Amino acid sequence: MTLNLCVLTPNRIFWDSKVKEIILSTNSGQIGILPNHAPIATAVDIGILRICLNDQWLTMALIGGFARIGNNEITILVNDAEKGSDIDPQEAQQALEIAEANLRKAEGKRQTIEANLALRRARTRVEAINVIS
Amino acid sequence: MAMAALRREGRRFASLISPRPITAVRSSPLYPTLEDEGPLGLRHISTQVVRNRMKSVKNIQKITKAMKMVAASKLRAIQTKTENSRGLWQPFTALLGDLPSADVKKNVVVTISSDKGLCGGINSTSVKISKGLHKLNSATGPEKETKYVILGEKAKAQLVRDSKKDIELIITELQKNPLNYTQVSVLADEILKNVEYDALRIVFNKFQSVVSFVPTVSTVLSPEIVEREAESGGKLGDLDSYEVEGGETKGEILQNLAEFQFSCTMFNAVLENACSEQGARMSAMDSSSRNAGDMLDRLTLTYNRTRQASITTELIEIISGASALEG
Repeated sequence: MTLNLCVLTPNRIFWDSKVKEIILSTNSGQIGILPNHAPIATAVDIGILRICLNDQWLTMALIGGFARIGNNEITILVNDAEKGSDIDPQEAQQALEIAEANLRKAEGKRQTIEANLALRRARTRVEAINVIS
Repeated sequence: MAMAALRREGRRFASLISPRPITAVRSSPLYPTLEDEGPLGLRHISTQVVRNRMKSVKNIQKITKAMKMVAASKLRAIQTKTENSRGLWQPFTALLGDLPSADVKKNVVVTISSDKGLCGGINSTSVKISKGLHKLNSATGPEKETKYVILGEKAKAQLVRDSKKDIELIITELQKNPLNYTQVSVLADEILKNVEYDALRIVFNKFQSVVSFVPTVSTVLSPEIVEREAESGGKLGDLDSYEVEGGETKGEILQNLAEFQFSCTMFNAVLENACSEQGARMSAMDSSSRNAGDMLDRLTLTYNRTRQASITTELIEIISGASALEG
């Protein structure tokens, strides 16, 4: 029994294939989905998604969205997604440092929130690369 | 004397030519009229007038051909984006259902139209449908109200005339920067913040093919209505069977879900409408350049006829003058 995984972003269909297992980060922590899971609808946080394909784990960075799981069909809708293998480690590290610097000098509530979001995004991308290697 | 008479004739026919509509050119009485008039003037229209007209029609044809090419290339660019975004709102419809018949008190009609004109009839159809929705909702009960949110200049021009008090928000110049999701989600955010709603109906033209644009209405329901419909069973009944995780309460998740659904549906609607606009403009400019070509053909015939008539009259004058001298 395999799960049919579909990851969609506004710009394109990001991923569409059968997988054996996925690990998803939600607002309330990470959940693992195996075949024949009960139907759930959940919010997806800015974090990494790991999928098990033919006994090989792949990592992706997801930037917030929703997931619906039912009948061995998983549909994940996110604002943006990047495959771990597509992220350049140097660039991700730099983005992380820039985000941290921005957070430190952010003033006012709005800038702090934005800087926080940027930081989490950068951190997720760095994590996505690190988990593979 | 003769020259003054000719000039008078020329002016008379110049005023006849300019405001003539294209359809009237087809009718045959036109040419006999032009050539019948004026017992005095032998040259009926001067070739100069016809030549000027031909030049302007040729310019129009060039411009419309160029506009068609531009629209075709813009269409190609946007079409791939639209097709990719189509997959986005389908899971929402699968989960939450698209219930255009939901009975709600506060309706908001989001009309999407273009900013620029010369794109055929798509904007008028969208406005007609929006007005129809408005009427439908107010006809079913007095406490129901319908408000408009307008995107695009063309719908604004048409709706401001008779429904000014019902308009909540007007947004124009969407296409200055290439369309992307962040921009549309900011827009969706604005709308959700400022407008109270039970159901949002997005009216746009769906792009079926380069020649067919179907006006469509997508409905997005607010979370309270979704709860209500889910409890009453029917299409949304199996929403309850889903365990909702990832947040404090189910209500909060549904709220976020509804907002996300709205911004995704908006994104798709705006892209589809942009595609339809370019497609409609392409076909409008194409038929316009074809009409200009037809007009040019007819004007060329008139020109040749006029030219030959003037040559003939000159010859007659010379010959009659010569024979008068001899005999």
